[in-house]
Amino acid sequence: MDPFDQETERYLREFQPRAIQPLEVGPKDKNTLSRRLAVVALLVLLAGTLLWFAHREAARPKEAANIRPEKENVARGRRFPSALALTRLALEDNEKLDSVLADQSREVLPTVQGKQSMLRVLAND
Amino acid sequence: MQSIRLTTDEVKLLYQKHGATLAAYACSCGLDHAAAEDVVQQLFLKMLGEKTFAPQAPVAYLYRSTRNASLNLQRDRRRETDLPDTEPWFIHPNSSQVEVLTLQKALQELPEEQKETVFLKIWSGMTLQEIAEVTETPLNTVASRYRYALEKLRDHLGQQNKK
Repeated sequence: MDPFDQETERYLREFQPRAIQPLEVGPKDKNTLSRRLAVVALLVLLAGTLLWFAHREAARPKEAANIRPEKENVARGRRFPSALALTRLALEDNEKLDSVLADQSREVLPTVQGKQSMLRVLAND
Repeated sequence: MQSIRLTTDEVKLLYQKHGATLAAYACSCGLDHAAAEDVVQQLFLKMLGEKTFAPQAPVAYLYRSTRNASLNLQRDRRRETDLPDTEPWFIHPNSSQVEVLTLQKALQELPEEQKETVFLKIWSGMTLQEIAEVTETPLNTVASRYRYALEKLRDHLGQQNKK
């Protein structure tokens, strides 16, 4: 190497870069902490949503249960004769069959006596 | 050249060894020292944060990244205000601040490749052969850049001394 270059190099080496602060790894930890908090918050929100849905679903059968007994009660009141009994009646006593079927139809078919009856509404129209 | 994954301790060691020089290098790209420190800190924190980070030549990568980040930041800041050239980013036990500022000015005026070569050789302690390897440049080219850089610095510093 050129002696001038060596001298310049030696001169430059006398200068040292200004010291800087030590590497702060704190911001990274802070980021990690905030990321973890965000994940926990998300999980809590998700769990809350799931619980809310579960509660809502659980409430539905109750409403249905409140309605069902009435229907069941109505159904229980209906004593449908078996197909065999109806066949026997058809063969042996046509009049009785007619009266049984008429009774059953009154129970099964919607009444036209109710104020809100669709048949009545249609009839009025 | 093999790819290596740096551990946290290795990154911290790199910071201890090259952090101050990289900050001075960032200053030579036009930043004030505080901003240069921030750039270097962010760069190393990014390295620590990336689990899959594996530069083939960490020192060369650091120089390139510092330069890019510094130039980007400088471009943004230049719109706001002109920075004074009176802040020292080098220290010399026996020299006046004028001498320090003269050297800094001379470094700033070097072409980018020459400046990088001088920093890598003088203040990062690499040989010309190592510089050639990490910058993937022929050894002769690196040697030429270094020689031209020293010549320009000598001229610049000599002219200042004459004044």
